[in-house]
Amino acid sequence: MRIERRSSTPRWLQVAVPVGSVAVAFVVSAVVLLATGHNPLHAYRRLFEAAFTDPGALSSTLTAATPLCFTGLAAAVAFRVGLFNIGAEGQLYMGAIAAAGVALALAGQGVVLQIGAMIVAGAVAGAAWALIPGFLRAFANTNEIITSLMLNYVAALFLNYLIFDTLSYWRDTSSPGAEQFPQGKPLPDAASWPTFGLGTSLVIPFGLLVAVVLACVISVLYGRTRFGFEAAVIGDSPRAARYAGMRTRRNILLVMGLSGLLAGIGGASQDGDFRHLLDPRGLAQPGYGYTGIVVAALARYNPFAVLLVAILIGGLSNAGYALQGADFPSGLVGVMQGIILFCALGGELLVRYRVRLGRSGAVEAAPAA
Amino acid sequence: MNNSLLVLIASSAIVYGTPLLYAALGELLAERSGVLNLGVEGMMLVGAAMGFFVVQRLAGPGPLALGAAIVVAALAGAAIASIHAFLVITLRASQIVSGLAITIFAGAAGLSSYLANDLNLAESPARHVFGPILPQSLQDLPVVGPLIFAQTALVYASWVLTAAVAFYLARTRPGLELRAVGEAPGAADAVGINVTAYRYAHTLVGGALAGVGGACFSLSITPQWLDGLTGGAGWIAIALVIFAFWRPDLCLVGAYVFGAFSALPFILQARGVTVAPELFQALPYLMTVVVLVAVSTGAVKRHLGAPASLGQPYVREER
Amino acid sequence: MNDPRSVTAVPAVTLRGVTKRFPGVVANADVDLEIHAGEVHALLGENGAGKSTLSNIVTGLYRPDEGSLELHGEPVDLRSPRDALQRGVGMVHQHFRLVEPFTVAENIALGDQRDRRLVPDRAALERKVAALADQFGLSVDPRARIWQLSVGEQQRVEILKALYRDARILILDEPTAVLTPQEARALFETLRAMAADGRTIVFISHKLHEVLAVSDRITVLRGGRVVATVATASATPEGLASLMVGREVETGRRQERTNPLTNVVLKAYNLCAEGDRGLPALNGVSLEVRGGEIVGVAGVAGNGQRELAEALTGMRGLTAGQVSVSGVQLRAGDPRDAIARGLAHVPEDRLGTGVAPSLSIASNTVLKAYRDPEISAGPFLRRNRIMRRASELIARYSVSAPGPETRARDLSGGNLQKVVIGREFAGAPSALVVASPTRGLDVGAIENVHELLRAAAARGVAVLMISEDLDEILALADRVLVMYEGTIVGERDGEGADVDELGMLMAGGAPR
Repeated sequence: MRIERRSSTPRWLQVAVPVGSVAVAFVVSAVVLLATGHNPLHAYRRLFEAAFTDPGALSSTLTAATPLCFTGLAAAVAFRVGLFNIGAEGQLYMGAIAAAGVALALAGQGVVLQIGAMIVAGAVAGAAWALIPGFLRAFANTNEIITSLMLNYVAALFLNYLIFDTLSYWRDTSSPGAEQFPQGKPLPDAASWPTFGLGTSLVIPFGLLVAVVLACVISVLYGRTRFGFEAAVIGDSPRAARYAGMRTRRNILLVMGLSGLLAGIGGASQDGDFRHLLDPRGLAQPGYGYTGIVVAALARYNPFAVLLVAILIGGLSNAGYALQGADFPSGLVGVMQGIILFCALGGELLVRYRVRLGRSGAVEAAPAA
Repeated sequence: MNNSLLVLIASSAIVYGTPLLYAALGELLAERSGVLNLGVEGMMLVGAAMGFFVVQRLAGPGPLALGAAIVVAALAGAAIASIHAFLVITLRASQIVSGLAITIFAGAAGLSSYLANDLNLAESPARHVFGPILPQSLQDLPVVGPLIFAQTALVYASWVLTAAVAFYLARTRPGLELRAVGEAPGAADAVGINVTAYRYAHTLVGGALAGVGGACFSLSITPQWLDGLTGGAGWIAIALVIFAFWRPDLCLVGAYVFGAFSALPFILQARGVTVAPELFQALPYLMTVVVLVAVSTGAVKRHLGAPASLGQPYVREER
Repeated sequence: MNDPRSVTAVPAVTLRGVTKRFPGVVANADVDLEIHAGEVHALLGENGAGKSTLSNIVTGLYRPDEGSLELHGEPVDLRSPRDALQRGVGMVHQHFRLVEPFTVAENIALGDQRDRRLVPDRAALERKVAALADQFGLSVDPRARIWQLSVGEQQRVEILKALYRDARILILDEPTAVLTPQEARALFETLRAMAADGRTIVFISHKLHEVLAVSDRITVLRGGRVVATVATASATPEGLASLMVGREVETGRRQERTNPLTNVVLKAYNLCAEGDRGLPALNGVSLEVRGGEIVGVAGVAGNGQRELAEALTGMRGLTAGQVSVSGVQLRAGDPRDAIARGLAHVPEDRLGTGVAPSLSIASNTVLKAYRDPEISAGPFLRRNRIMRRASELIARYSVSAPGPETRARDLSGGNLQKVVIGREFAGAPSALVVASPTRGLDVGAIENVHELLRAAAARGVAVLMISEDLDEILALADRVLVMYEGTIVGERDGEGADVDELGMLMAGGAPR
């Protein structure tokens, strides 16, 4: 078997491979299920129902998908230019902390101000948290993978600290049992983000719409602006970028800041759309930040594809949660998501390289040189 | 004296640091070959689950069951690692994404939980547990008693392993070849070293050691099954390798430092000293960032830095 | 020079019908070749003629798509470099395959199949290496680490690697690119000594005079095919050159400069800068280039040329000194400032620095110009203007490519260089720094580039050309500066320059 790099990738292949990987993944998962004594068709049907068709399922799926849209976009904007920001998890936490704090501080103000302030606070906190690895990468040439990863833990510990170990501003001190069972202070009603009903049962959270708008903005930003051009060049060849006089460090900071900003708004959305208080366990358990990276990879870093993939993965997660119980294999969701990713990663090979069997074979015609 | 704070902290550091040490040594070997493995947590959990399964079911004599459990844990970890190895070495996939995929696949919401469920791991405690193996009289000696003589076989084995890995890297021929593969795979390939084989072997060994590290939890520290019982140790191990400048001896030191930090708050609490544990727990991560910044600046990097090819697939026929 | 033994014995290397393809190019086509034992056999051809590929096949790095290979009369199927090494084929690569943090001894012994002991004896190894080095006159410290060595010393390590494994067939790929003329002569003596010892030497080069100096027989390659195999004694430079390019060629053409010179445009005063390893690379370089002249900087690779180009264009910071363009001092370490002041730069590493390789020709056309108001309106890029500019460039410079969307990395060396030069000229620069402009290009492309440079000078651009190819400098430069260990050690007129004297200066000898 020989592997040769392709000189160009046909567009149909770029779409077919991710779609194909999902299909293959379902087949492989079916084999795993069968081997362990479960009925795959039954499991898939129930997964599909729990994700999309059961009453209220689609709304729950959108609920699960919304944070993944934000963290997926966060990963996409950074990874596609070669900045491996693994810190969306921590950036989301910091955004949630900031947004909750602002909402509590502005209690009594109007809805528009509340929501606007939460979004801004989340964005700023997330961006600031991402700028730490950003600065270290831009000015000290420190690998951003590890620094952003480490800061996830610091952020998680900070989040825990605020609710579990101190009587902080965020902590609920008034309700009965508040001392025994630490919990976040409920946010004012005006800080509840609106929802939009569609049809009889579909409820669309405001955060999702924000994510869609952001996806459009990012698409334009990367495709048609000077900033996007610089980001593409820097991601491809930092030496060429320097040679061309691009301000590489400034661009790195902007991209990391943008990435953190998106994750931070995701944190604000968690407070405003769904939880209505600062909830450390709830925020940490699903691993939105890490799942977002996986969503972005599967979407090949395209902003609109990120939204679609987020719904797919979110649907799976939601279904897994809803079906939790004695007779549904727990851990199946993680297994399936993993298999989807493995297949997608394997399929990536087909996109970038051509695989040939045997020693000799026809070679495509050289471009006239 | 053996109840003094210092001794307690030190011995807890060793206990909690041992799973970190195993996983870190494994990750160190993988990274020295040029493969970054972010899926350590998943491998640890699967190793923990499968190891626990053995001690839960196997009646037999204790040492035999425990030995079998370790072997099974190692094989489980290696099996998961083989997925990562195949994806990133043969298929040249992104090492970061693959590692994260493994974490999702095998982690607390994935395979380890699936196995725990199907194998009914939560329904009863382990029948065999690793305990101290040296006589009580030695264990009662001041200071060295609890620190050195009261440890389990897993701990002693980890010391031997650290020395073995250090010797392997510094003085043996295959160790030299491994370092060449990590620093300059093109040069290694040109003299006929099989880069692919070295990377596969060390990634699998890395997974096996991660599995053993996970088994430290389920066979020694908390001999009962809980989903996600490793509590993020895999991630700490990754940080530990960097903190140790990719050196096995410093991995030992670092593992115990990190172990002390995670045990410290609880010990203090039992003494009535309330200190927010998060402060201590955050220290290792912050320290790692500081160390990393220092390592990244030029001159230091040449002597102490990461293997040059870490994270990049090796391709021979590419023009 | 001909060894009568070699005619009757079994050939050391036999290639029959060997063909090798890569995506988009056929590197070797139907090659038949016999190399006799105990001879020094040269493979001569321009860059891209297929010499390196062929040698990589003989050393097991590549496998041929078609054809067969025999070593000492035995058919072999080499699956890896290890196979080749076991059969006694050693190679000294153009780009060294050394492990930087390791010592010389560790590098030499790495992967040696004869000593598979678990714990090698380091001291014994070092003694063996020292003895071997003495035997062949290649002085090097076995305990030094590779990153501490000079390029010439590193090459000696590469040669020792092959000798240590008792290679009977030694292939050297462009070995003199990093040597002074005197060091090259010493190398040739070593090679002849090895050949007299019964070893077979294959010497790959594109330099006529070297090949004539060292070899017994010469095989000329062109376009991946063998054109001819001749005995060195009966070969002439003109004959070889015409075989290489397929047409009659005058070697060493010079054109007279007709345009007048204007004021000093590019001026550097006492430039001092550090290299990548923190050691000083430039030690007080001063130079001046007037509008309309071509100043050549000659020297052996590794004497600060790369750092000079980077320092002039702002890609490397200065520890002392200043650069000015048209009288305006440039900010050190700021490429944007240099670009803004009209200083263009065609870098040595065109694919790694001069373009973003995965992006299209169109994107690369505006790599520096994307901030211009013509190309972008506010933050937004004007796509159609970019496309138009790219199409114009492709047409004007006859770039052979399917279209402006083609990725830069898919272009051949010559076409890539056209894109880079075309882009730099589009900015109407007043000064141009160009480094190794024709490295890796075939003769047609080389002529193209030389024409473009002469045309730029004729337009009044001040051209500073840094090159390791002395022939190129002698063909183009009005004045020649020689660089050695980070300073300018001599200046001569391009017209009628004495090659030997230049060689002396390049080697650090005293100027006359």
